[in-house]
This record gives sequence, C-alpha cells and structure tokens, in this order.
Amino acid sequence: MSRVYNWQLGREMSYPYDGKYPERQFAFVFNINRCIACQSCTMACKSTWTFSKGQEHMWWANVETKPYGGYPQFWDVKILDLLNQTNPDGQRWTGSVSDNGKSPYGQFSGQTIFEAGEKTLQPQSARVLGYLPSDEEWNSPNIYEDNPVGKRGIRDKLHETGEQLPVHNTWFFYLARICNHCTYPACLGACPRKAIYKRPEDGIVLLDQSECRGYRKCVEACPYKKTMYRGNTRVSEKCVACYPRVEGTDPESEGQPMETRCMAACIGQIRMQGLVRLNSDGTWAEDRQHPLYYLVHVAKVALPLYPQFGTSPNGYYIPPRWVPREYLRQMFGPGVDRAIERYNNPDRELLAVLQLFRRSNRIIFRYEIKEGPLVYEGTYRGRPVRIYNDTVIAFGKNGKELFRTTVEEPLHVRPAKHQNSI
Amino acid sequence: MPYADPDPTDPTLLVGVEVPAEEDSDLEMAYAFAEEFARLGFSQQRLLSLFRQSFYAGAYRALQRLGEEKISSIIKETLQVWDNFRFVIHDSPERFDVSLDSLRPLEPHHQQHEDGP
Repeated sequence: MSRVYNWQLGREMSYPYDGKYPERQFAFVFNINRCIACQSCTMACKSTWTFSKGQEHMWWANVETKPYGGYPQFWDVKILDLLNQTNPDGQRWTGSVSDNGKSPYGQFSGQTIFEAGEKTLQPQSARVLGYLPSDEEWNSPNIYEDNPVGKRGIRDKLHETGEQLPVHNTWFFYLARICNHCTYPACLGACPRKAIYKRPEDGIVLLDQSECRGYRKCVEACPYKKTMYRGNTRVSEKCVACYPRVEGTDPESEGQPMETRCMAACIGQIRMQGLVRLNSDGTWAEDRQHPLYYLVHVAKVALPLYPQFGTSPNGYYIPPRWVPREYLRQMFGPGVDRAIERYNNPDRELLAVLQLFRRSNRIIFRYEIKEGPLVYEGTYRGRPVRIYNDTVIAFGKNGKELFRTTVEEPLHVRPAKHQNSI
Repeated sequence: MPYADPDPTDPTLLVGVEVPAEEDSDLEMAYAFAEEFARLGFSQQRLLSLFRQSFYAGAYRALQRLGEEKISSIIKETLQVWDNFRFVIHDSPERFDVSLDSLRPLEPHHQQHEDGP
C-alpha cells in the first residue's frame, strides 16, 4: 500500500494506490436542518438514471431516516461494527479542532477501512475492509421508516394520520445521500480489474462497464454502499454525478457547468454542489470566494460524512442542531460542536452565503458580497440578531454573473375588499 | 411499505431500540424547522401547515409532543425576526433558462402565418 495524506484525518494513511488528484473536485454541501424527506432528489435521480429493468433496487440518491433507517439497511452500523471488531475501543480522535486546513478536526488515531483491511484480511488481494449487503438489505429502502401508508386493500388512499407504527419518544433526522466521489475511493481501491477511475478534470468517480466483470469487490468495499450490482447485466453501476451536466455538455446547460439532477430538484433548498480546486497533496487549495470552500474551510459549518472511514468523502453536511452530540460526533467527527455553534449564531457572511443555496441550477464558482445597511436589529431566543441588506452575487465558470440576492422589506397589498375601508 | 401485519419470520422485521433523546430535542427541532422555512419566506399559515402535515414526520412529531399553542408561539417568535424582510433573487440579465414567453401559445396571426395561406 502507498502512503497518502488525508486532511480529514489530519494524518497520512495507507491506500492501495499513490495519491493522484484532479484539477477540480466534485463536492457538495447538504444542510440537514432543512431536509424534510420529500424524496424529490431520490425520484429525480431514479427517473434519470436507474429506471430500467434490473435497476429496481438501485437508488443512487436516497434519503434515510436516522438513526434507524439506512439504504441498504444498517449500512453504517455494520461497517462501524466491523471497524470496532478490528480495533476494539481504538476508533478515537486525538488533538483538537483547529483552523489548520491540513488537520481541521484534529487527528484520527484509529484505523481506516484500508488500514483495518491491511491488518486483518487474507489474501493480500483483499485490500479494503467491508461487507456485501444481502438482497433483503438492498430491497426495501425506507422500510419501517416514517413513509406514508395506506390501509390494507384500499388503493390510492393514504392513512388519515399517516401512522402505522407506534410513535417513539425519540429524535430523528433525515440524511440525504449520494456517492461522495471520494478523494481516496474504496471502490476504486478494491477493484481487481481497475474498472473504476477518477476523472482528472472533475474528480468524478466512474465505473467502466466494459471492464467490469461483476466481482462486486467495489460493492463490498464502499463503506457508504453507493456502488450497486445489476443482476441482468452482471456488472456493477454507480452514481455518475450527472457528468454531462457538470461538464456543461448537457443540451440544457448551454455550455455552462450545471448542478446534478438531485441538487436541482431539491424542494427544501438544502443542497449546493460545486467544483473545488485541490493542492498537489489533495488538500483544498485556498479559494476564499468559493462558497463550498467558505462553508467547509472558513465558516467550518459543513463536515464530511464518517471521515473516520478514510476515503476522504467529498459530501459535506451542516449537521442537524437538535440531535444528541455524541451521535453527531460519531457521524461527522469532532468538528460538530464548532459547526453547530457557528450555524446557530451565523455571522454576516454566513447568512449571505446560505442565500446562495438553490437560487440557480448553474454551478457557482465564486461569490461576492456588497455590504448594505442594517435592516433589522433585535433578539431571537435571547441572542442578538442583526440582519443587513447585503447583496450576494454568484458567478459562473465563465466569470459572468448568475444571479444576485438582496433583502427587501415585504410589500403588503391591501385586499381589494378593504381598499376604501379607512 | 408494510401493508401486512408483521411476520416474525421476516428477516427485515423491525427490531428497534429507543435511543434516548435530550430533554429539549423536540423543542430544538421545532425551532430549527420554523427558522429554516421562515428564512425561505414561509408565512405563518404555511409554517403551521408544515407542522400539521403528518407526512413531514419531524415537524408533525414536534407538534404532537409540544402542542399547537407552543408551535404557534415558536412560529411567531421566529417570524418576529424573519418576517421583517424578504430575500429577493435577481437573475443575471443574460438568462439561461427557457423563457416563459417561449412556452406561450403563438398568437393567432402567427399561427396563420406559419400555417400558410
């Protein structure tokens, strides 16, 4: 195995290949605080890419209810358990969160899926610790989650209150997921055919179906379980990051990079996707006016999903603020407390950048803020709040303006029947 | 979607444990939903209907636990800040998307012209 630097772990780690980094990297931020599990993203992806025979069980984009739900069922519990069996009670973080871009969350002193595989798996060709989900685990996404139900035998009618299971007095939140197009993809590392590759121009991880022989090593290795096997073609498939849109070659995009279908369909406006610049060691190059760089490395409100797996995923999440911190620390690493503190008390720039989510289907490459006057000053839940009429301007790849948002006082129109009532 | 009664031999049968919640997690969740959607410009009525909608289980759960009166007061408190203004989006002059005008049916004289004499 080679040694590569993983900035999310704050240290070097083992990986089956030398580190090679794209010119730009596909990345995204999801604000979980806003997700209501409408599944629009899920269906946008399904209706674009996985609607054919043999793909019935495939949901490249999905939304699951945490902590119970998962697609495939229990995917994260199972891989966390495997890692814990390999390194009992050793999966810990040391150091402290900092502003150092090379180790913003401290150091992970436990074992990644590559390191655990290196120590425990035989033969040598087995490179990544993982497991193959059963058919039952793939077959029923969202089973027993809070999906609407109808009464038995009555078609096209939902239950009046939507309840079927007993309601537990507990917490939950919705986790939207797609392939993380990892910097160190486990699927790529595990494939004996070298059928999986990472594109040098945008870091999108693709699977060459003409090379694939359906060994399912990628399905076993991906800790997020986002590579899937198709029985009728006997090869594996995975999220392609809607690459014609990202390239700007989709007829609708008119040559300008466009966000993926799942991003564009988001009703709750939780999603922003972009292409970030990387340094020669895989860390993010400073790009102060890039909205994703700002959210991940300046405001530090967006965190990677299960960074301890070691794949350096490029999906980042603004964590839900009502969920027990222990659970969130396990899921998003030690940066959780800082992220929630900052999100709960957003400064002027963060409030402006949050306004960039889902205002356009074009990929934002840069933003600018023109400061305006104070429009509101007061308190909210005991904290001082100041809102300014700042204008935030988004620019596309060609440097041209995509849109701008401003703040305006609402205009109240008196209803017609009261026009002359004074 | 489980239409049938639970079958104990079903390997996917729900086996769940209750994960203890922090004391005020429902309250925090209610504030989070109210604030996030108020920022998107939802009115008091739209926010309340989001909480009343049983299929938005998170918000609905908070309403069931805290009661409509508490949820209304949370919404009111949130709107005291976020209802004072609106975020307005101006697209760049160079529009990328298909213009609405192009979707309108052609004027009758245009149609006649295209159909020919």
